[in-house]
Amino acid sequence: MSLSVIVLTALVAMPWWADSGWIRWAVELSCYIAIAQMWNLLAGYAGLVSVGQQAFIGAAGYALFILCQKFGVNPFLAVPLALIVPALLSVPTYLLLYRLDGPYFAIGTWVVAEAVRLLTTNLDYVNAGAGLTLRVMAQYRLHEREIAMTMLSGILLLVTVGGSYWLLRSRHGLALTAMRDNPVSAGSQGVNVSRLRFFVFVAAAVGTGFAGAIYYMAQLRITPASGYDPKWASISIFIVMIGGIGSIEGAIIGGLIYFFPDRFFSQYGASYMVVLGCLTLFMAIYARGGIWGLVASRFDAPWFPVGRRLALPAAGERKPS
Amino acid sequence: MQWLDALVQGVLLGGMYAQYALGMALMFGVMRIVNIAHGDLMILLALTGISLATAFSLGTMSLIAVLVPLAALLGWTLQRGILNKAVGEDPLPSLIATFGLSIAVQNLMLQIWSADTRSLRGGGLESASIDVGGVYVGVLPVIVLVTAIALTAGLDFIVRATRFGRGLRAAAADTEAAAVTGVDPKSIYAVSTAIAVAILGIAAVFQSLRATVSPADGPAQLIYAFEAVIIGGMGSLWGAFVGSMVLGVAQAIGFRIDPGWGILFGHLVFLAALAIRPEGVMKRG
Repeated sequence: MSLSVIVLTALVAMPWWADSGWIRWAVELSCYIAIAQMWNLLAGYAGLVSVGQQAFIGAAGYALFILCQKFGVNPFLAVPLALIVPALLSVPTYLLLYRLDGPYFAIGTWVVAEAVRLLTTNLDYVNAGAGLTLRVMAQYRLHEREIAMTMLSGILLLVTVGGSYWLLRSRHGLALTAMRDNPVSAGSQGVNVSRLRFFVFVAAAVGTGFAGAIYYMAQLRITPASGYDPKWASISIFIVMIGGIGSIEGAIIGGLIYFFPDRFFSQYGASYMVVLGCLTLFMAIYARGGIWGLVASRFDAPWFPVGRRLALPAAGERKPS
Repeated sequence: MQWLDALVQGVLLGGMYAQYALGMALMFGVMRIVNIAHGDLMILLALTGISLATAFSLGTMSLIAVLVPLAALLGWTLQRGILNKAVGEDPLPSLIATFGLSIAVQNLMLQIWSADTRSLRGGGLESASIDVGGVYVGVLPVIVLVTAIALTAGLDFIVRATRFGRGLRAAAADTEAAAVTGVDPKSIYAVSTAIAVAILGIAAVFQSLRATVSPADGPAQLIYAFEAVIIGGMGSLWGAFVGSMVLGVAQAIGFRIDPGWGILFGHLVFLAALAIRPEGVMKRG
């Protein structure tokens, strides 16, 4: 816990000690971790495997750009406002798709993301396929922008990672953990599985959208092809499956493992992706708990303790029966 | 006339989609597996077919004769090597495993064949058409549609009436009970995946004759197959066929309204079908 406070403080203080390249990396890494964490919440706990989270990334990104460019809203104020769009999008999406089970739900989310992408590509209002540029950012100096970006990234991590932690420690966390292990028996124990799933889906859409808004704010440019890129789904799956599904630590470890090699090896392009694909395949078959699962089976020292232990009353306190 | 033409072209396009959807309907009906690499396997077979045809100057029929056994072998290996290890109550491992496979296959193809689009020459067959009362109907799309009908009928017969089909339905209904009564689910699974991928081999040849293929095309084909299966009703073979027709017609009409809207219109019809009739058009009740 104290480690995360140090990391967050260091992140927010970055404009005063790190150069721009490092800041850009830190912002991107925060977005990856946030998106993966949200996917982990969906797939790892709620049993909702989605390959269409890019719908919310693109939607929030576009909402931000429209608010700034067309309505002249202050870009930093526009970030929270932009999150209304993924929230509104996630409700009908869930209501349409919740009947589909397992893998069919997954491809259903993909169809929704493709439909939203094609809709955006056909809208002249948002410059169709050519995309938008965030020109208003030019009025701020680089240093000001960097402070804002690291602040936003800090809030993003606090909301997504801290929020997941808080959620799992709360009363609902017990229900979510029960649902992860077995949704049917969780339902029979009084967990309202469908309502909890709906809540997690909307929350994950907002969290994912938040990361998307920040990511494209840092990029200063969005196009339908990049904002709604299925690549986002691949990234979250890689990160969570390699790091370890169903744990907060897994998404963070996976994020670090994915991010740094990606910077160095992405020049090998396709062959690097072949390796990542095979690694995911291997993990899915032989090591479902991912790297964190392997660590946790040997050392019981979680960074984010969300597990619950059965505390048996001591012998003396036991009531005679 | 314009709309009649769209309808006819849509049905013909649906014939192509039915060929992708059939294998998916079979795999889902039996193993409840959605193979995310479905479309990528088809593209892999198509590119392999194009390379084989160029290297050995094969005609269309001899290419099908070579490619289909190859596809069946690929499907069998896939099931034996990967999917049998991932199948279970929890659909997540097989989903993630085939997702990883899809990424790997896509990028491998990019390495081997580069991002260029390719197609197969069919000796004039691909551009031949006949005039039916003012609507031009391509000869090749008609062959595709007839093949799709024949494949659906043949597969439906196998599932309904043969010993293998009985074992397959038993394994689908209750894997463990089937195993107790002497059916080997793993080998049933391997054979049905082999059949599913073999059908993709035929689809691959027609796809590369009809249009162009490039390594990144797989996911789109997966989505079309998936939409057809859901519109028709999960696990029903004729349902998948009808779903393909609905999807093909929706796309063809969309393309007539605005070229940018064709694919989107297909997606919207799918979502509408999901909202109105989630159990699929072929399910009774």
